[in-house]
Amino acid sequence: METFILKATINGTPLELPVDPSWRLLDVLRQKLGLTGVKEGCGEGECGACTVLLNRKPVNSCLILAPEADGADIVTIEGLAQQGMLHPIQEAFLEAGAVQCGFCTPGMVLAAKALLDNNPNPSDMDVKTAISGNLCRCTGYVKIIEAIHLAAKKISSGGDNI
Amino acid sequence: MIPCFKYHQPAELEETLELLTGLSGSKKVLAGGTDLVLALRRQELSPNHIVSLKRLSQLKKIEIGHGEVHIGALVTFSELLESTIIKESFALLVEAAQQVGGPQIRNQGTVGGNIITASPAGDLLPPLLALGASVKLIKKGSERIVPLEQFLIGLGKTTILPEEILSEVFFPVLPNNTTSSFFKLGRRNSLAISRISMAVILFHDAKGLINDSRLVLGAVGIKPFRATLAEKSLKGCLPDSLLLEKAITSIAQSVSSSLGDRSSATYKKRAVQGVARQALCKAEPIFQSGNG
Repeated sequence: METFILKATINGTPLELPVDPSWRLLDVLRQKLGLTGVKEGCGEGECGACTVLLNRKPVNSCLILAPEADGADIVTIEGLAQQGMLHPIQEAFLEAGAVQCGFCTPGMVLAAKALLDNNPNPSDMDVKTAISGNLCRCTGYVKIIEAIHLAAKKISSGGDNI
Repeated sequence: MIPCFKYHQPAELEETLELLTGLSGSKKVLAGGTDLVLALRRQELSPNHIVSLKRLSQLKKIEIGHGEVHIGALVTFSELLESTIIKESFALLVEAAQQVGGPQIRNQGTVGGNIITASPAGDLLPPLLALGASVKLIKKGSERIVPLEQFLIGLGKTTILPEEILSEVFFPVLPNNTTSSFFKLGRRNSLAISRISMAVILFHDAKGLINDSRLVLGAVGIKPFRATLAEKSLKGCLPDSLLLEKAITSIAQSVSSSLGDRSSATYKKRAVQGVARQALCKAEPIFQSGNG
């Protein structure tokens, strides 16, 4: 199959990658770039474990053909920590005990980031809607919601590393 | 996995239409991909060519003028929800778009894609049908307009030709004193396909009498349809709890005939009454007063 030269910025780094057009963005991120924080939970857009931020919006990378990400700014979970310092959302998830097996966590954190970037003071309903595309089989969601509210407080009280 | 295909990402509309006419072999047009990529992965489709509309920014507009609202085919559900034009006057569209999939799906999936997939349970279809929408189909050298009701054949089929793209959907603005709503019953509150859905438009006169209505049911037939008997029962009436019950009974009867012998019929015949109650009360709060 004819390769497509994908030009995209991934976690702040502009890249040019020859890709097979039948690959999904998920495959490019995991297999080509080793960004295995992006998980394949269902491959059908039904679980959100493959969530990445594309031009600041959460999307299911399992449903995006690689060439469709051309020109995009993509952020994966690996792009959140800066110079070894965790993002306030990551810190909040740890403090609140919102991680059990951790498989849903990258997707949850990115969904939370997209929410808090747009809505620094979300209601409970706003948080639930923001993660309504992300399934968790372990935690029962309560601690994840608490973590996101905690993250909102951390960020608005001047947490660095935004 | 995903079968092989030749991928095209034309920069302009003309180039796109040229490709769709000129390419030999089977082709599929790619918009948001939330349905198409899934179908490819499940190997339900194996087109020779995929033509992406990604670069056609002119298909992303939402415009109002001359008494009509025009929505470009590539508008995503999220973009629909951000539109002041839609938020101000079209509660039924807002409520439908809000309940499609989850945030990730809404950021990728498009209005045009929802129409072309033409699922019997497609969430934008009952509101668009209630609004009397039409679609514009363009191919190299010509374009045509088709009322949405005729465009949808049923069970995932439309009258689109392989060399055409759906460029926009449009509908008349609603008059003053109109209320609308959309209600969806799914197995979950999110990431759920509608099991039953209903779009409601109620046209009132200045005194609050229901002049006319559009009641469109989704996921209870091969394509969404208007409950015309129920619409007649509301005509010229003052909304009260008796009228509500009359409308619900009529809707249940229409659905019963549409469902036929499906295994879901027993459940849906009962459940549609609850859906109708919710949808009608959302559009007409007066229906709720006096109700237990």
